[in-house]
This record gives sequence, structure tokens and C-alpha cells, in this order.
Amino acid sequence: MAVKRVIPADQRLKFERAALPHLDAVYTAALRLTRNPDDAADLLQETILRAYRFFHQFTEGTNCRAWLLAILYNNFRNAWRRGAREQPATSNEEFDREVEAQSLLSDQTRTNPEDLIGGRMVGSQIEAALSAIPMEFREALLLVDAQELNYQEAADLLGVPLGTIKSRVSRGRALMREALRDLDRTRVKTGS
Amino acid sequence: MSEYLAAHVDGELTPRERRSADEHLAKCASCRARLAEERSLKALIRREAGIVRTPPDVRMRIRAALGDLAETTLRREPNRAASASRGDTVIRDGFALQRTSAAYPSVAQLSRNRLLAAVGGAVMLVIAIGIFVGRGVPRSGAGSVQVVPAFDMAIGKYLSLERNFTPNVPPEAYSNTDGAVYAWVQNREPVERVATSATDTFDDVARAYREMSMPDDLLDLSPAGYRLAGGRAESLPDGRPITYTLYTSESGAILSISYPDAAMAAPVGAVNWFGMRSFYEYKGYSICMSFYPTGHFVSILVSQMPVSQLLNDVAAADATVASK
Repeated sequence: MAVKRVIPADQRLKFERAALPHLDAVYTAALRLTRNPDDAADLLQETILRAYRFFHQFTEGTNCRAWLLAILYNNFRNAWRRGAREQPATSNEEFDREVEAQSLLSDQTRTNPEDLIGGRMVGSQIEAALSAIPMEFREALLLVDAQELNYQEAADLLGVPLGTIKSRVSRGRALMREALRDLDRTRVKTGS
Repeated sequence: MSEYLAAHVDGELTPRERRSADEHLAKCASCRARLAEERSLKALIRREAGIVRTPPDVRMRIRAALGDLAETTLRREPNRAASASRGDTVIRDGFALQRTSAAYPSVAQLSRNRLLAAVGGAVMLVIAIGIFVGRGVPRSGAGSVQVVPAFDMAIGKYLSLERNFTPNVPPEAYSNTDGAVYAWVQNREPVERVATSATDTFDDVARAYREMSMPDDLLDLSPAGYRLAGGRAESLPDGRPITYTLYTSESGAILSISYPDAAMAAPVGAVNWFGMRSFYEYKGYSICMSFYPTGHFVSILVSQMPVSQLLNDVAAADATVASK
């Protein structure tokens, strides 16, 4: 016999109000993890359903995005990678293309007044630089800068001490600067 | 030092650290430049490696998947299913399942099997309704419809939209604070509607519905003298998507409403039926109810014209589709 646990109507509404504003953020993270839109959609769905089932464990007033991302990372680590699916494609280019195609900003002019390198920076260079730095630094930067988590939330999500996040963010940005300079030198040399 | 700069930009310094950092920055141009550089890079990463939009069909699929969990619950709990078939509003959720994660089917499986299951389930439902309506309803009972919340909702919407209808497909465009434009937005606040060059032709509205994974088989009521006023997509209070399509003519208007509801069945008391459509006289309005085979969608047509005329007009529209 099924165990009845009736949740009031406003509970689902509450869940949707809390979780759905972060859907794009979670989808983006899923896309980065799986590097494939179909798998990202499945992973996102699995995450949202799990979050819904365990919504009673969410502490109101805390960062719902961080909570959803933690579920996403756990899903990806535990179930996704264990044989149920093929390993995600290793090519960063595939992901870059996907992001390029789907980016919210792809049809807007990319002008960055505060460009680091003489006003020539474009999104693909940021992606290329992110791809060029080691994963642990990229992950920290994406969580803190792109997903706007605080250090403690990122540390909890990745299961590392706060100090580790602090140094990874700092070191990650230094590596990004180096990577961007390298890319820009290559670009100027090749004239591309 | 670079850790302090990063933490400063990220707002992660303690008040005390922040004070001493600011004191130092006030007198060190080199550190100020590095701080500005750090801030620029953070902004760039945020902007360029930022958020990718969830495709509308994925967004819809997730909502449907929440419904999938509920369907299993209903099948396991016949009493609740029975009450649903009487037209009561049933709050469906996945919590009643309480399955272990090992026994829980993967979402990938669910989403792949869902279409087949939905088609099969709905066909069974339609057959069951056919048998029920055809054999089970004594003619003496025809016309005496109990309270149907879905019909009340439909009439309420008819009254407001018939007078004041603003189409928002295709495509509804919204912008939120980050300037991103979305064609289909739910629960995203704050949002601001932006002007679009929406047209209201038959095909455009059908295509927009299709892109939202909503039923796209609009009625061609032109033989009966109606024009398509347009389509409108909204969300129900519980988040389910719902579309309103308004047809107008000199003799009156027909509002067509579609939304997913696996538990809904045709209420007893239809005065007539035609194909898979059941017709009702309800609180002075004429109502036609049908079910879409895929996705457990309910379709309700509301009109103030006599039910015989609604039946004729809808039959003409169905015939137009059939002859194409």
C-alpha cells in the first residue's frame, strides 16, 4: 500500500517559486557537466524532481540555487557517471559551440567597456581561457563568478574546506589572466 | 595579497579585514589597479560564461515529469482517482510515492516512456469515456451536471477574455533585470513584457503552441464565420501551463482552453456528443470537452451560444480538418 503523504497545494507553488527562478542556472551547470544538451536536460529534470521530493529538507532563507546545484552535482557524481550513461564528451569545443548557440547574449553586442585587453575580448575567449585552466579552478570560478555562490556555499557543494575555495578562486583568476594573455598573443600573431 | 583582493571583490572579507584592506588601498595605487582588474575579470566571467537559457521544451518537460509522479499515485490510490473523475480538484504530488532511489526509474527512462504511456493511457481513457457516455448515462440524466470546477474556471476566463483579450503568442517576449529576453517565462520575477511583432495567423499560433509542447490543433472555425482572435499562454496557480485561444464572430465568441490534467475525466450529464467531444449545458453556457491523446491534455470550449449551434460549428471545423 502506498504511503500517503499529502502535501498542501501551496507547497508545490512554494517549491516552484523557490526553485524555478534558478532553472536556467541549474541547466547551465548541467550543460557544463554533461557537455550535451540532451543529457543536460535529463540531468536537470532528475535534479528538479529530486529537489521537489526533498523540498522539506530545504531551509527557507538559504540560497536555493546553491541547494539545487548541490543536488545536481550529487546526481551527476553518483548516478550519472556510474554506467547509466556514456561518459560526457571530452571536447570543450562542443560545449563552446553549444554555449555560443544558446547564449542569452549571443544576439547582443558584446561590448565590455572594462575589457582587460584593449576592447577585443569576446565570450569565446573567456570560454577558451576557462577550458585552458585546470578543472578545480574552473569549477570554483564558475560557482563563485557565474553562479554567484558565496565561498561557503561553493565549499559545501564541492566538499572542500573554505580556505581551499578562497585560494582556488584567487589562483583561478590569476590563471585566467595568464590564459587570456596567451590567447590574445596567439590571436594577434595569427591575425585571427 | 591576491587572495585578499579576490575575497574583497567577492565580498568575502570580514568587516575588520575589509577596513584594513581599504586603508591599504587608499594609499596603494598598484593594489587599486589590481583590484579593478580582479573586478573586471569577475564581471567578464559572469557575463560571458553566464547563464544559458533552458529550452522551452525542457522547461515544459520538467513540469510534465512532476505530473508523471502524480499519475502513478493516482493509479495506486483508486479512491483518489475516483474522486478526480468526479471533477474534484486533486492535488497531485510525487511525495506519496516514497520509493527508494534504487527502485526509482530514471528520468531518462520516464521521459522516453512517457509519450507511449501517455498515448496508451489517454486512448484507454477516451475509450472508457466513450463506453461510459454511450452506455452509462441514462437520457433522463442528461443535462443535469453537478458542479465542475474546471467548467467554472473556464466560464470565468471566458467572461474576462471575451471582453478583453490580449494575445501573447507568438512569441511572448519578456525581459528580466539582466536584459535577457525569454519567449516563454514562468515564475521569473521581475519580468517586463517587451514589444514583439507577434502575428495572429492560424499557423503562427499553432507553431507557438507546438514550441511550448501544448496542443497545437487549432479549430478552423472559418466555415462557421469565426476569425481567430489569437492565442494566449499563461500558468495555472499550481504552475501548469494553460493556453487560451479565442475565436470571434458576429454571433458570439468561442474560447478554447487547453491544459494538462491526467486526472480529469468527462463529467456525467453531457447533452450530446460528437466524436470524442462531449457537450454540456452548464450554468447558462455551452461547453464542449475533449481530451488530447498525448500529454493528458484537457480541452474545454466555452460559448454563450446554444449548445446545438456550438456542436454544429465545431463539427464543421472538425470536418474541415478531416478533409485536409
